[in-house]
Amino acid sequence: MLFNSAVFLVFFAGFLLLYYLVRHSLAARNALIVVASYAFYGWWDWRFLSLLWISSLVDYAVGRALEPPRPDRHRRAWLALSLIVNLGLLGFFKYYGFFVDSFIALLDRLGLDAEPRLLRVVLPVGISFYTFQSLSYALDVYRRQLTPTRNLVSFLAYVSFFPQLVAGPIERARHLLPQFERTLTLTRTQLVTGVWLILWGMFKKVVLADNLAPLVELVYGQPAHAAPLVALGTIAFAFQIYCDFSGYSDIARGLASVLGFELRLNFNLPYLATNLREFWRRWHISLSTWLRDYLYVSLGGNRHGPSRTRLNLLLTMLLGGLWHGAAWNFVLWGLWHGIGLLVHRWWSERPRATPLPQPEPHPAPGRQEPTPPQPPNPLARQLLAWSLTMLVVGYGWLLFRAQSWADILTLTSALAQWSVPPWFASYALNLAAFTLPLILMQSWQATTKDLLAPLTLPAWTRALLQGCLLTAIVLFWRKDSTPFIYFQF
Amino acid sequence: MKSHQCEFNAADLLAAVAPPLLPLLLFAAAMHLGAASGRLPAPRPILDADRTILLHQAEASRQPTPAAVLLLGDSSCLMDVWAPRLQTALDQPVLNLGTLSYLDLPSLALLLEQYTAANPGRTPLVVLLMHPESLRLAGLPAYHAAVLRHYLAGRDAPPTGHLLARFDRILGLDIFRGRLWTRLVPSPLPGEFGRAYGFTWDLWRSLDQHAGSAVDPHRFDPTTARGNAEYRLAARLETESRIFRQRLPPHTRLAVGLTPAPESFVLPDHSATCRQILAQWGAWLEADALLTQLPATRPAAEFASVTHLRATGAQRFSADLASLLRPLLSSVTQPSAPDNTRPAPSGLPLQLLHHAWPQDAPTTGPLP
Repeated sequence: MLFNSAVFLVFFAGFLLLYYLVRHSLAARNALIVVASYAFYGWWDWRFLSLLWISSLVDYAVGRALEPPRPDRHRRAWLALSLIVNLGLLGFFKYYGFFVDSFIALLDRLGLDAEPRLLRVVLPVGISFYTFQSLSYALDVYRRQLTPTRNLVSFLAYVSFFPQLVAGPIERARHLLPQFERTLTLTRTQLVTGVWLILWGMFKKVVLADNLAPLVELVYGQPAHAAPLVALGTIAFAFQIYCDFSGYSDIARGLASVLGFELRLNFNLPYLATNLREFWRRWHISLSTWLRDYLYVSLGGNRHGPSRTRLNLLLTMLLGGLWHGAAWNFVLWGLWHGIGLLVHRWWSERPRATPLPQPEPHPAPGRQEPTPPQPPNPLARQLLAWSLTMLVVGYGWLLFRAQSWADILTLTSALAQWSVPPWFASYALNLAAFTLPLILMQSWQATTKDLLAPLTLPAWTRALLQGCLLTAIVLFWRKDSTPFIYFQF
Repeated sequence: MKSHQCEFNAADLLAAVAPPLLPLLLFAAAMHLGAASGRLPAPRPILDADRTILLHQAEASRQPTPAAVLLLGDSSCLMDVWAPRLQTALDQPVLNLGTLSYLDLPSLALLLEQYTAANPGRTPLVVLLMHPESLRLAGLPAYHAAVLRHYLAGRDAPPTGHLLARFDRILGLDIFRGRLWTRLVPSPLPGEFGRAYGFTWDLWRSLDQHAGSAVDPHRFDPTTARGNAEYRLAARLETESRIFRQRLPPHTRLAVGLTPAPESFVLPDHSATCRQILAQWGAWLEADALLTQLPATRPAAEFASVTHLRATGAQRFSADLASLLRPLLSSVTQPSAPDNTRPAPSGLPLQLLHHAWPQDAPTTGPLP
């Protein structure tokens, strides 16, 4: 079931009514959420509900088994069970075809003719998200950072909570699970915030991302263009994927908010980052922190010297890339960002050639206090840093969106060619039309340092703004609802 | 334990949800008022490839254009005949008003009526070209014909049968799209068409520049081609053809032909079938000439699809068509013969029917 479909509107309206009716019973509320979430997920393919159950039940059982007192040896064995089941499901359903195909391609290159009987496995929607969410519970309990829950229904609701089930944010049990075990207070602020987030998220998806998609397809569908079009196509994709994914996250947070729940922020103006490290603190925050806490730290983090730190960072980004999809271009994308982060680390930690002059500790009485030393032209430096970061991120999107090695080579070599098709002006006009609203909104959010800046407007101005968003959503709503990009991950 | 408690009342809920609806209603009212009062620009919903082609041809039919040859027909007429090539070969102005397979013959007659009204005193040679595939379609969706009629009448496009389309109409969304958005931002075309033409505005411009002709950028793959190659005339065509004939302006000379199919796709007796189809259809249309010598098939490499030629194929087909039309045009521009027994020019590669050229009919103006 897609948020941007008519059937979801009916589903959510019905759910709200039942949610209101069960307001006196916490157990009934959680049971309702579980049933609704399974209906939401099963609408796509009910058979894959079994994977959701396996992942949830195993981690619930592991959580209970990890309860102290337990010897460490047993605890490790229980955690291993959780890892094997969750990563096994993910590995089989997401990566089986990829590794087998890659192996056959390798044999083919070696001149060996291999024609194995291949099993084509369907990728269950959202499997990467809910396995990570469920796994984080087992890991937190193992690390004694979380007391395991005894309430199975609460745990099932935590893993399957429909607003964020199929595309995140990837919640931590420490943050979300307690919300299923207490009475929620639904405030007017939460309601207003929820309505805003739903409208803004829907606007980003239905109006911006879905209208940028054909522009991206024009360039990436059959890549044979020159630099200007590849550049514009990549910019279009950068905006499309951001609007699509952050739109989903906003809708998820908005839906949760009107139900009284609070989900984590997943995007924080990532395209304003002035270095790659900052970009990853702003982009898909729930995944990058998951990878940091459970992968990078588990690999040793920065505790074993600079070389090992670099290796850990590279490995984390590589696996982060592979998490996005079972294809080599995602691995390359992860590697590209990993190398970028290493370069940034080297650059920011390099010894300065000329130390900045120190201010006098005690200026003489009557003397004007000297101005503190400033780096030369900070605005220009910031602009340069932002441009370089966006170039790296942009080329990363090219790797991410390309369909094959050949496409990557074609698009990259096209960057050295200069010609424009007769419809270039139409392309630029479309790109401007469907990116300008986002640029304006985010400039406002950045200037006010408030992602909910529109909520500070007077009531009638806010209503006008929301009305404009609603009109645009209705105007561009497609009856054949387009799925969110991150569903495939 | 309680599930949740609300710290707001029904009025707060209404205050959070209802206000955004107000601008939407104001928008709807503004659109309907604007359209009714004529304050908004006229409808021109060129929002996809089909409607761009259809409305371009409708617009072209309303322009004063001195065409000696006026091509009418389905999308194979649009894509298979490269009007600039034909124009060069004939040394006469040509206008291609080929449209879509979904348009019925009375709609094509409507285009011709528009042309005649915009070009009084001119009676060009009308060449009606269709693909056998279009001729066997048992029923056509009424939507495209309705779009054409509405456009020519200056009305907003009719809603489709979909429920959401009715909401579009009520909320004035189609008025906004068809009158304002279409003029503000061009719509991207999908797939190969997108890569070849880009956007709706660019397709429109290209049609303008090429006397109404377009090129199908696809490539026909004979190995994957599927479909029924048994062609026949649909029963509906008899009535439609008679209506078409009745609506032709007086003294209009009508030549009819079929566009080719890939050699690899058709049945062995395809050429004979085409001759039969053309003879029957020509009779229904009371055509003045049948272009029987047009090739019924071409090599698969020249095709974009079963029904459309690629650019190179269209060039060749246009040359073939020119060689058939040239003697026809020259014969009618010659001084009138004293009687109706004018023999067909030697080697004339077409079949003149009992409705011979109206040599004795008063012409309202010389052919350009």
